[in-house]
Amino acid sequence: MPQLHDVDYTLEYPYTRTTGPVIGPFLTGLRDGRILGQRCGDRVLCPPMEFDPDTFSTLEPDLVEVGPGGEVVNWTWVAESSAKHPFDRPFGFAFIKLDGADTALVHAVDTGGDPEAMSTGMRVTAQYREERHGSIADVYFVPEADAADQVIEPGEEPVTITEHLIGLRLNEPLYPHRARFAQGLLDGKIIGQRSPVTGKVYVPGRGYDNMSRVLLSEADEVVVSDVGTVVAFTELNPVQYYGQTETEPYVRCSILFDGTDQPVIGIDIRDMTVEEMRVGMRMRCIWRDPEDRSVEDIDNRFGNIPESVYTRFEPTGEPDVPADQLKEHSW
Amino acid sequence: MAARPCAVLGIGQTKYKRRRDDVTLDGLVREAVLRALEDAGATFDDIDAIVIGKAPDALEGVMMPLLSLCDALGAIGKPIHRVHTAGSVGASTSISAVNLVESGMYDTVLTVAYEKQSEGNATWALSGGKSGGQGAGGTFAPWIRNYIARSKAPEHIGWMVAVKDRLNALKNEYAHLHLPDISIEKVRESPMLWDPLHFLESCPSSDGAAAMVLGNDDIAKKSGRPPAWVISHAKRTEFGQFPGRDTVRPQAGVECSEALYRKVGITNPREQIDCAELYVPFSWYEPMWLEGHSIAEEGEGWKMTDAGDTELGGSFPVNMSGGVLSSNPIGASGMIRCLEAANQVRGTAGEYQVPGAKISIGHAYGGAAQYYAMWMVSSELNPVF
Repeated sequence: MPQLHDVDYTLEYPYTRTTGPVIGPFLTGLRDGRILGQRCGDRVLCPPMEFDPDTFSTLEPDLVEVGPGGEVVNWTWVAESSAKHPFDRPFGFAFIKLDGADTALVHAVDTGGDPEAMSTGMRVTAQYREERHGSIADVYFVPEADAADQVIEPGEEPVTITEHLIGLRLNEPLYPHRARFAQGLLDGKIIGQRSPVTGKVYVPGRGYDNMSRVLLSEADEVVVSDVGTVVAFTELNPVQYYGQTETEPYVRCSILFDGTDQPVIGIDIRDMTVEEMRVGMRMRCIWRDPEDRSVEDIDNRFGNIPESVYTRFEPTGEPDVPADQLKEHSW
Repeated sequence: MAARPCAVLGIGQTKYKRRRDDVTLDGLVREAVLRALEDAGATFDDIDAIVIGKAPDALEGVMMPLLSLCDALGAIGKPIHRVHTAGSVGASTSISAVNLVESGMYDTVLTVAYEKQSEGNATWALSGGKSGGQGAGGTFAPWIRNYIARSKAPEHIGWMVAVKDRLNALKNEYAHLHLPDISIEKVRESPMLWDPLHFLESCPSSDGAAAMVLGNDDIAKKSGRPPAWVISHAKRTEFGQFPGRDTVRPQAGVECSEALYRKVGITNPREQIDCAELYVPFSWYEPMWLEGHSIAEEGEGWKMTDAGDTELGGSFPVNMSGGVLSSNPIGASGMIRCLEAANQVRGTAGEYQVPGAKISIGHAYGGAAQYYAMWMVSSELNPVF
């Protein structure tokens, strides 16, 4: 069986955060070169908190400057830094109790890559980045002796909202049944899986029959027709979210291919208008030339019959299938 | 052993808005929680366990919010549970909290659900972060067309629901949409999003949180607050896609309501229930759920809407608070249905109170209309039907 491609899938979005009455001033302070703690009874919490962690009562904003010096109360060493880390060389993550604070802040300590320079009880000093955005990453720490004098220009507006590109990257092989389905499309064939219990044919197969709770294997696979019946359609006006590449309205439809029992959903129709679509309409897949077919968009979760394997779906001109015969397939 | 009786003793909601930029996520959730505690005459000290629910984490990009929200919820040192059943989660969460009281394990339970939709993008999240996502409306529209074809409902039914719920919302200070000049013409002329759904037949995207304090019969007696007794509840699930699935009247929805009614001996929900808060994110789901939950016969739900029966003041009011069509912090929307049903039987629904309401239901559905959660609340512990 050919190994088509690994799935390299990034789920990523520029989320925003509203910062509220306590965290907002804290982030504004970092941008302006100051670290602020929140008074909580006779203690000062840094990082500041909105709620008293002991009594759960709401803390009215009452921020006081702490640091810039502090003491490492515990630490760990990051021997290999990643792209998301604050430094491109080995560094320490430490609990730092800043002067004037009663709780410790977790932050990064740059010793120039030397783990021997880290110790519990060591004195560190805050240093600020050239570019600051009202973020916890505006600041970092160095051993007290290494600290440089910095002149920080304060910003103007208070920080009330921040943006964070948060993501998750998955890298995994295509499941075997997905790989066989995708290879079928490259060969101009639609492969389904037939349940040995009910005889129902699913396209694409899931590798199991969810109704009869049996596994389905290559032995259960059948090539089905590339002619089928439209069972549902909808016109989409693409919402312009992050990563959206669609700009114009287009039609999505579900097609029940002949000899199958479950429609393939989400088939893109680009050369017909929604007015030309009918439930019951007979359609045929017009495949791309073999060398132009691609299944890169198929992963283990998304992608059925992508536009990258066909040029269009074309009405066959046969009479429509009556809607009541399609009642069982109304997705 | 019989289940311990459980009552809603405190209700808290935030104002629902497009963007709550004055508070953090923690502050937003906290606002609803403090109001629920105040309404119950309780403090964090009285809470034995917490149940939290929200829709997919991808909506705000906060993973495992049950951990980061512990301080705001007063959960340190107490059991906390998180529930997730897509759009139905607010109602599933409410029921999970009831289960904890009914079991006898905890006397007083705090439950909370929320969404801060402005921090992310729901259509992006529902599309798995990929271009070309179909979204909820694009998925439901063909099923709605099938409903219309099957029931022979006239097209104005959807417009009527859109107007009715927005007029109800004018009586609810917490509702997101306040559209005093809403009209059938305005709905009909608003842009078509997914045929047959116009822009004004669709729910908004809201920030907000909802919370309740639930207690057993002893706590209810001591609290002196008007109780809404949770006399029945049910959850059901089905696969999103399978041959023979009826997407117009899904079997899981039918069975969920049948179980809800059967437990307390309801044989004629239309007559024996006074009002309902149903999860209607798109206008046509009002008649679809009236039929899908056996309140109306198949093909008859739209006639209740058409006759004005579902209006505030009608014979079977639906979504007196303005419903999901007027406020949609997704994860909280199901809990809002549950707590608004409780408001009715407690007599605390203010301007949108159904006079004399004794029995009400809260309902939510989620995923591809595949998760169902419903509860029934009563002003009396043992109503006779």
